[in-house]
Amino acid sequence: MGHPLSRDINQSSGRHCFNRAKFHFNSELFSSSEPSRHLLVTALLFLFLFPRAATARDNTLSHSLGDVTVTASRPLSRIGVQYTSIDSAALRDNISLSMADVLGFNSSVFVKSAGRATLSTVSFRGTAPSHTAVTWNGLPVNSPAMGLTDFSMLPSYLIDRASLLHGASSLTRTSAGMGGMVDLSTSPAEIGDGFNVQYIQGAGSYNTFDEFLKLSYGDDRWRLSTRAVLSTSDNDFTFINKDRKEFVYDDNHTIIDSYYPKDRNRNGGYCDFHLLQQIYFSAPRRNDIGLQVWYTGSVRHVPLNTVDYVDSRDFIKKQRDNIIRAIASWQHRTGAMTLSARAGYVHQWNAYDYAVERSEGIMNTSITSRTKTDTFYSDGEWGWTPGNNLFLSATLSVKHDRVATVDHAALAGVKSYDKGRCDLGASVSARWQATSRLGLSAVVRQDIAGRDADAPAPALFADYVINRDANLTVKGSVARNHHYASLNDLYFLPGGNPDLKAEHGWSYDIGVSADKAVGSRTNVSASVNWYDSYINDWILWLPTNKGFFQARNVRNVHAYGIEAAAGISTRPGDDWKIGINAGVSWTASINDSEPVSPDDKSAGKQLPYVPKLSASLTGTVAWRLWNLQYKWCYYSRRYTMTSNENTISGSLPRYFMSNLSLERRIPLHAVELSAKIAVNNLFNADYQTIMAHPMPGTNFEIFLSISI
Amino acid sequence: MKKIIYLAAVAAAFSFTSCSDDDNTPAPPAQSSVEGLFVVCNGNYLAGNGSLSYYNPDDNSVENNVFQRANGMKLGDTAQSMSIDGNTGWICVNGSNVIYAIDVNTYKVKGHVTDVTSPRNALAISDNKLYVTNLYDNRIAIVNPATYTVTGHIDIPDMEASTGSTEQMIKIGDYVYVNCWSYQKEVLKIDTRNDKIVDRIQVGIQPQSIATDGKNSLWVLCDGGGWAENPVGFEAPSISRIDLNTFKVVSTIKLAEYSSASHLRYYNGNLFWLENGVQRMSADATAAPTAAFIPSTSYSLYALDINPANGDIYVGDAIDYMQDGTVTRYNASGDKTDSFTTGIIPAGFCWKTGK
Repeated sequence: MGHPLSRDINQSSGRHCFNRAKFHFNSELFSSSEPSRHLLVTALLFLFLFPRAATARDNTLSHSLGDVTVTASRPLSRIGVQYTSIDSAALRDNISLSMADVLGFNSSVFVKSAGRATLSTVSFRGTAPSHTAVTWNGLPVNSPAMGLTDFSMLPSYLIDRASLLHGASSLTRTSAGMGGMVDLSTSPAEIGDGFNVQYIQGAGSYNTFDEFLKLSYGDDRWRLSTRAVLSTSDNDFTFINKDRKEFVYDDNHTIIDSYYPKDRNRNGGYCDFHLLQQIYFSAPRRNDIGLQVWYTGSVRHVPLNTVDYVDSRDFIKKQRDNIIRAIASWQHRTGAMTLSARAGYVHQWNAYDYAVERSEGIMNTSITSRTKTDTFYSDGEWGWTPGNNLFLSATLSVKHDRVATVDHAALAGVKSYDKGRCDLGASVSARWQATSRLGLSAVVRQDIAGRDADAPAPALFADYVINRDANLTVKGSVARNHHYASLNDLYFLPGGNPDLKAEHGWSYDIGVSADKAVGSRTNVSASVNWYDSYINDWILWLPTNKGFFQARNVRNVHAYGIEAAAGISTRPGDDWKIGINAGVSWTASINDSEPVSPDDKSAGKQLPYVPKLSASLTGTVAWRLWNLQYKWCYYSRRYTMTSNENTISGSLPRYFMSNLSLERRIPLHAVELSAKIAVNNLFNADYQTIMAHPMPGTNFEIFLSISI
Repeated sequence: MKKIIYLAAVAAAFSFTSCSDDDNTPAPPAQSSVEGLFVVCNGNYLAGNGSLSYYNPDDNSVENNVFQRANGMKLGDTAQSMSIDGNTGWICVNGSNVIYAIDVNTYKVKGHVTDVTSPRNALAISDNKLYVTNLYDNRIAIVNPATYTVTGHIDIPDMEASTGSTEQMIKIGDYVYVNCWSYQKEVLKIDTRNDKIVDRIQVGIQPQSIATDGKNSLWVLCDGGGWAENPVGFEAPSISRIDLNTFKVVSTIKLAEYSSASHLRYYNGNLFWLENGVQRMSADATAAPTAAFIPSTSYSLYALDINPANGDIYVGDAIDYMQDGTVTRYNASGDKTDSFTTGIIPAGFCWKTGK
């Protein structure tokens, strides 16, 4: 196991540790050992032919909320930290899910999208999408051009670990997460010994097909894994379009009738392909080496909004992406010291084309945008544990971004901009378990973006165990954070503003959490947290009367609220396992700026597209080889206007969303099979998360899986 | 039994899928034949929340969102402009690629034209001809207003289709004058009898708006490109006068360098435009004014027009572009007399003369 604090150190730095036992995960999740004589014919036969093939051991292996084992000791890396771990069962729910779907049902963030395979961004604690820092195996994946992350491009089946660091807690890993941080990673712990194969086929509504293949090999030194995901869909769901009408004309071209048409989601088709290669090597002398490479190829048509008539002719409105993310890591542990280093590279090529039929067979191209971004990243960390209750660390990171964007349709390919920026970051931290109940932690970060150097970002954390039996802990933090403008904000032509200042502000957290085993079969947990944060010089793109938008530091925001979560898992009988996780957030994200004019009604109002109240619940019932899951979430009214008008143009109604799935596993002699049916939008909610962009009603998908 | 009732209640609560809180404001009252002002509000790009307001200057009353209220449907995405011919108002909805014809008294849709690309402005030429300018097209569409169909196009030679832009139109006699704005430098002269470009003239960079005295002069406000790296060029905004008899530029007045100038209007011997407020200059002036007629520090002035009946000045302010805008009314002396709230981003005015 190495040093007692090695696990903490690994977690704090986001490194992989190759000793699988350290992760305390039930790696039997994907193992297959139960013999059976039966064969799969179809999915439905699967579900109903083998209702009683379970054994007690099968039940032990079932997917459940209890797959993650939480150690009793509090790691130093978590002192005072507000942390949400996404359950591995949520990540593995089904292969059609992206991280946007997972976060929407399993966290307090609000996901804004126009449906599956469309740009999906998050609002974390009432902040903008660019205020959520996202890393994959420690590699920053926020777009250097736009600053945000498109979570629809991240299939959950390619993620082994996902966690959220709320607000100031993100400073324990990185800066720039004014709202928080989403930490995604792959793990060698998910790679079993020997050769393993898993294949999943999904087929669902709107000609949707999802395929997943995983090949892996593991031995004492090596862990190798190859994963591929292919998703295609016409995504042409129907809906009653109440935003426009069809007009019926008579022979004199007079309107004699009109009605709301039953429209299809126009131009919503997509094809996404992902290939992930992982290689881990445990070298002698406590050296661990890892390499992960992730390729994404995507072709997505961009759905029309509900009031667009462009489809009266042929048109092209399409986005294409080619993305390569690669990260190599090395970690060395010796005595009380840990050294680690990473080097990564991200290349993203994005194309957006918009063309409308000019005359029969001839297209008039108005946008041929091409954006290429390259990011080179490297960091190193030194950690030292002079005693069992103290951990000191220092990090240094270098990131170089280059963005070249051009619209070939704009005057014979004039470049919009081609700019690079080198970001340097350094931090020092100390984590001290002062007494058996009191933990203290401090971090100071300094970031330099190009020639801009904002003030350092310090953070202080503390927690105190009030009651050991219930692990009742009160925790708090205070921090200053900042976020530098993206390269588009600075340089995009027209409208980029090189004079932009970094967004910055202070945030304060305090909360209490507890978890307790009740008897031998039940665990309960609960937490509640209050936060209060200020973001100054918020960057917005606003129209000008020059005919284009321009980036400006225009707003101060006061975001505060309450996050509460609770969970229970229990085994009422040997064959039964029940788990419920629920969360609720109340978010006030208030425009704290002075009115820009006497008529400005936005001062003191909630920011657009930030719901004040959101809630989610996931309930799972496992019985022998069956697994039933119900997911529910709620979002209150989201204003679309800064003045918070309750009108059809000023807000989107609240909505409830329910998903249901039923899975049946069938362990056979050498393989394990499973079939699953998922029902999305169970009650056929009519809702939108972006104004004028419809969302699908009730839809289905069936998944068949085989693991060898 | 109580448990069953309770569970049923919980299930019912969870099954509430959404609550429609749409505003059910009543249909707007029909107008009398008094003069009024239509305000076309952009709404936010891609949000489909453009709207139409109607203001009565006699009693200072305003009815907002009249299109949606009268028709039970949204006006669309980025409503751009409106012009009136008889009792028909033609509303160009740029982002929705549609032009709506409405009854200007009831606001009800009479017809719609869809075969257009990013329509910017519509101008009635005759009972069977309507010109429509476009963005992202190097043609002006010819629409039959009786059938709501595109019957032809006026091609503009040497203008790239992908960056094509034609903007405002003014008809004087048999000719229509058109400024070509985005990435352009020209003003066109079109003979409406044969729908041909008969002349064209180069002015400053990006002629944003035009105004006329209805006689011999056409003034062109060029925004100068707006940004230094604009591939079509960048210069100080300017106002040029074109002699319509010779169709030549006879004078040019440079405005303040790096300023943002737009929305040129002519009234009673004076030119008005937006530039750090409202500027006013004699049509015969040889130099730009040194101070604004109606000063403003607002970043968000977005529309300007003059009441042709009395010279009152109307200024649209988008405020922060994500809330209902305001229109402020000034008398001809520049004194504020009224203001009213509109939809999001008031961007275009259209006078209803009541005739």
